Amino acid sequence: MAVKMVNLTIDNHPVSVPAGTLVVDAAKKVGIEIPVFCYHPKMDPVGMCRLCLVEIGRPMVDRATNQPVLEADGSPKISFGPKLETACTTPVSEGMVVLTENDKVSEARKDILEFILTSHPLDCPVCDKGGECPLQNLTMRFGPGESRFLFDEKMRLAKQVPLGELILLDRERCIQCARCVRFQKEIVDDPVIGFSQRGRALEIVTFSDPGFDSIFSGNTTDICPVGALTTSDFRFGARPWEMNAAASLCTHCPVGCNLTINVRREARAGGRDVIKRIMPRQNESVNEIWICDKGRFAYHFTESEQRLTEPMMRKGSELVAVSWDEALQAAASRLKKAGEKTITLAGGRLSNEDLFNLCQLTSGLGGQYWMHGTMGGGDLLAQVGVGQGTNLGEFGPGSAILVVASDLHEEAPVWWLRVKQAAERGATLIVASARPTRLDRFAKCVIRYAYGEEVETVTSLVPEYKTDVSEAICAGIQGILGAENLVVFFGSDGLGLEGTTALAAACMELLVKTNHFGRANNGLIAVWPNANTQGAFELGYRPAADLASRLAEAQVAYIAAADPAGDDPALAEALRKTGFIIVQELFMTPTARMADLVLPAQAFTEREGTFVSGERRVQRYYPAVRPISGPRPDFQIAAQIAAQLGFSLEERLASLVFQRLSEAMPDFAGLTYQQLAMVEEQWPLIGRHDLYFGGTGYDNHQGLGVQLKPAAQRLEPLNLPDVPELPPLQAPEGAFLVVPITCLYDRGQTLLPTSLLHERMEKPAIYVHPKLATRVGLEDKQSFQLVLNGISTLVQVIFDENAPEGAALLPRSVGVPIQGPALAQKEIVSG
Amino acid sequence: MNELQKQYPDEIRQILAKYPPEYKRSAVMPLLHLAQRQNGHVSPSAIDEIAEILDVSPTDVVSVAGFYTLFHLEEGGRYRIQICTDLPCALRGAEHFLKAVCEELGVAVGETTPDGLFTVEEVKCLAACHRAPMFQLQGDGEIAYHEDQTIEKFRALVNDLRRHAQTHKEAA
Ligand code: SF4
Ligand code: SF4
Ligand code: FES
Ligand code: FES
Repeated sequence: MAVKMVNLTIDNHPVSVPAGTLVVDAAKKVGIEIPVFCYHPKMDPVGMCRLCLVEIGRPMVDRATNQPVLEADGSPKISFGPKLETACTTPVSEGMVVLTENDKVSEARKDILEFILTSHPLDCPVCDKGGECPLQNLTMRFGPGESRFLFDEKMRLAKQVPLGELILLDRERCIQCARCVRFQKEIVDDPVIGFSQRGRALEIVTFSDPGFDSIFSGNTTDICPVGALTTSDFRFGARPWEMNAAASLCTHCPVGCNLTINVRREARAGGRDVIKRIMPRQNESVNEIWICDKGRFAYHFTESEQRLTEPMMRKGSELVAVSWDEALQAAASRLKKAGEKTITLAGGRLSNEDLFNLCQLTSGLGGQYWMHGTMGGGDLLAQVGVGQGTNLGEFGPGSAILVVASDLHEEAPVWWLRVKQAAERGATLIVASARPTRLDRFAKCVIRYAYGEEVETVTSLVPEYKTDVSEAICAGIQGILGAENLVVFFGSDGLGLEGTTALAAACMELLVKTNHFGRANNGLIAVWPNANTQGAFELGYRPAADLASRLAEAQVAYIAAADPAGDDPALAEALRKTGFIIVQELFMTPTARMADLVLPAQAFTEREGTFVSGERRVQRYYPAVRPISGPRPDFQIAAQIAAQLGFSLEERLASLVFQRLSEAMPDFAGLTYQQLAMVEEQWPLIGRHDLYFGGTGYDNHQGLGVQLKPAAQRLEPLNLPDVPELPPLQAPEGAFLVVPITCLYDRGQTLLPTSLLHERMEKPAIYVHPKLATRVGLEDKQSFQLVLNGISTLVQVIFDENAPEGAALLPRSVGVPIQGPALAQKEIVSG
Repeated sequence: MNELQKQYPDEIRQILAKYPPEYKRSAVMPLLHLAQRQNGHVSPSAIDEIAEILDVSPTDVVSVAGFYTLFHLEEGGRYRIQICTDLPCALRGAEHFLKAVCEELGVAVGETTPDGLFTVEEVKCLAACHRAPMFQLQGDGEIAYHEDQTIEKFRALVNDLRRHAQTHKEAA
C-alpha cells in the first residue's frame, strides 16, 4: 500500500513526508528543531505545554471556484492564521508553510518558558538532571534571561517524595507535561501514577502498593524533561558530564536490550571506575528506547565485594589462594589426564567467545561439553528461528503472534511490551497458558490448558489436524490462518527440560505446517532463562537430561558460569563423585565451594564480547570499566589452559576469538565485529543534543547487531523432529503437583547484590489456589516444610486465585530447587 | 468483599447500567459521590473498592477525586465552606471575606473547627463571579451557593447551622 506523501515547506526547506505526520516530526526529520516538553515521539500528542508553537500558513482556496488563489507571480497565496499553532498536534497538509524561527514564535517560546519557570525551583546545581535537562537547555536557548514574576511567590512543594523505593519525585520541579503518566498508561499499561489536583497545585501521586508498582518505572526518569523524577539508585550519584558512556547489553534475559553504562572514576573507590547508572541505548528492532527495571538496576553484582579475585586450589580440606600460573598448570595437568573423561558445563551467561574457546578446549581433549539448564529446543531455532529482518515493531494487521507457556511480563519484559504494542496496532495475539498472565487482555484469543497439556495444545492449533476442538482453539486456528506472518514464542512456564524440548518441536511443526518459517517476521523465538542461552545452542551446547550420571562419571568437570550444586541437589550429589572439579565463576557459589580449583572470571562490564538474543540477533557489548585485578575473561582462561596442553586457541582479544568462531560456525559465516558495530539512522531521532525530544536514553553509535539467518532462510532442507508426547501430570493421594514458574525479581546470584530491589524480590513461597490448598490442608500465609524430590524446605503459602487448581506454582531461583513439574508433599511434623 | 458494593448494591447497579460495559470507568464520578455520601469524604479503602468495581487502578480514581474540589480525600467538618478566591472574586473582595470568615470561626484555611462542624476551604472559580464574594456550602449531602456575602450574613448562617446540628446529630 503506497503511503500518500505530502509536500510542505518548513522555514523555506521543501519537505516531503507521509500524510498524517505531525509538523514537529516533519521538522525533526529535516533537522529543524522545534522545542517540545509534553510531546514525545513514542506517544500520542496532547498539546499541553504549548512550547512547540509555530506559525502555520495554508494555501488559500477561492470558495466560489474551489481553485487556489495565486499571487501576482503565480505562486499560491498563503493565508496565515491569526494565532500560533502547536506543531505537536498539527498534522502536515499539502502546500503548508511552517515558520519556526520568526519573532512571533520566539516571543511565544520566551513567554511559555517564563510561565513554566514561575514555579520552578531552579535548583540546577543540586539537580540530578542538571547538564542533561531539557528545561535547562531549552531555557538557555529560547528562554528569557529574567523573570518578571516575584521570587517570593514561587510555589514551595515537597522535594523528596518517594513514589516507591525506586523512584523519587521532586514536586517543585514537575512542569506537568504528563509524559510519565502517559507512558505508564499508554505504553506499559501500568496506570499507577497520576495527576491529582489541578492548576498550580497539581501533583504526581501514586496509590499502588508498593508505590509506583511497575517494572518499567525507570523509563519515566529518562523521558521526564526535568529533574522531577529520579531513580534512588542514581540520585546525587554524579553529574552527567563527569561520566563516560560505554555501549553494553543487558545480561538478564534473552531480549538483549541495548544499554549504555555510565561510569565515573572515583577517589573514594580507590581510583576505580564505578558504574553510576544503566541507561537504555536505542535499538528500534530490539528494545526501542526502553528497558525494564531489572536491566536498569540489577548491575550491582558486577561490583560486589563478594566477587572472587584470586585463583584458589584445594589443599587438604581448604581452598587456598594460588597464583594463576599454578592454577593453570594444575587445571591443564588434570585435564590432560582426564582426556575424554572431561566434561565441560557452561551457563548461558557466558559470551559466544567464552563458549567457543571452552568447547574448542574440550573437543581438543576428546571430552564432552554441555549446557547447564532445564530448557531445550534451541537447536530448532537454528532451523526455524525467526528470519533475518524480523522486527516486532513492524507487526500490525495481517501478522499473528502466538505466545505459549510463558509469562512474558515476568520473563522478558521488553518482549511483553513489544508484543502488547503489536497487538494494539492490530496484530492477532494468541496466548496459550495454564494461568492468566498480563498478556491476556491484549489477546484476540486466550487458550487455557492444564499444566502438562502444552504440546497437545500447540498440536491442536495445526489447522490440518483439526478435529473437534474447543472454541478457543478454533479462534486460534482462524487467527493463524488469517495471518501473513506468524511468530511463536515458547517458554518454560511449568515445564522442565523434557517438556520444553517437546514443546519446541510442537511449535516447529506448527510453523512448518502453516508455512511460517524461513523469512522475516516468521519463525520461532525461545524465552530463555539467560541472555546467551541461544548462543550456547548455536555453538553446540545442549542441556543433558542425564547430567547427574555424566558428572558422576567424569574425571574432571570444568564448570563455567553455572551453579549445578546450588540449583539441583541431585547434581550436587553427583559432583561428590566427580574426580576433580574446576569452577570458573564470579562468586563463591555452592558449586565453587565443592571445587578443587576455582578460577575467578571477569564480569561482562570489564570486557567485550557478543551474545545471541532469543531472536537470534548477534550483538556486541563493550568494556565499561577497567577490570579489577585478578579475574580474567573466561575465553582467555580457557585459551591459557589450552596453551599448556599444546593447542592454540585465541587468547588475546574477544574480536579475534570471534573471527575464528565465524570461520568455524556456518551460521556465523562472514560475520565480523565491524559488521556488528554498524548503525543506521533510527526513528525517533534521539541523542545527546536533542534530549528534549526522546529523553536521556542514548542513541546508538556502537552497533545494531546482525540477525542470523536460520537454515530455512538459507533454503537448507529441514529436519523435523518427532513431537514426543508428554506424560500426563497427576498427583497420587497425599501428594500434589508443583510446577516451576519464572519471576522477574528472583533471588538469583546476579540479582541479590542489588539491595534496592530486595523489597520486590520473591520470597521462598509457593502460590496455591485456595481450592487446592483446602484439598492439601494448607492455609494462607502459613509456613510449612515442602518436600520436593526428597528435599524438604521451609516455604510460605500464598493464596492465589490466578493459580490453577491442579498445581501449585513455585518460582525458580528463590532457594527451593525445582527443575520441572514435580510431586510434592507436606511434611508431617510429629510432636 | 467490597464494602461499598455491600452497602449500596442497588445504587451501584443503577449507576453502572448507565454506561456501556466497556466504558464503565466513566462511572467513577457517581461512584465517588456515592462513597462520599456516608461521611463526607472518600476513604482510601473506598478508593480501592471503586477501582475494583471499575477495573481501573486506584491511582486513576485518586486523580479524578483530586481534580475536583467537590471530592474530599481527607476527613473534614460536617459542613465545608468553600470560598472562591479566583481573580474575579478577588477583585470583589473575596480575600477579605475569607480572612473575616477565618477569624469568625477561629481556624485557618484547611482547618476544621474544634466542634467538628466547619471546614474552611479556598477554591477556584465556581461560576458566580458576578455575585462575589461567594462560597459554596457542602454538607448533609447537599450543596448550596451563598452569594453576595458579607460577614454578617455569614454569621447568621453559621448560627442557623449550629442550631440545626444540635437538633439533628446525624446528617439526614
Ligand atoms: S514528573 Fe516529569 S514527566 Fe511527569 S509530569 Fe512532571 S515533568 Fe512531566
Ligand atoms: S527486558 Fe530483559 S534484556 Fe531488557 S532490560 Fe529487561 S531483563 Fe534486560
Ligand atoms: S504542546 Fe506541543 S510539545 Fe507540548
Ligand atoms: S472567580 Fe469566583 S466564582 Fe468565578
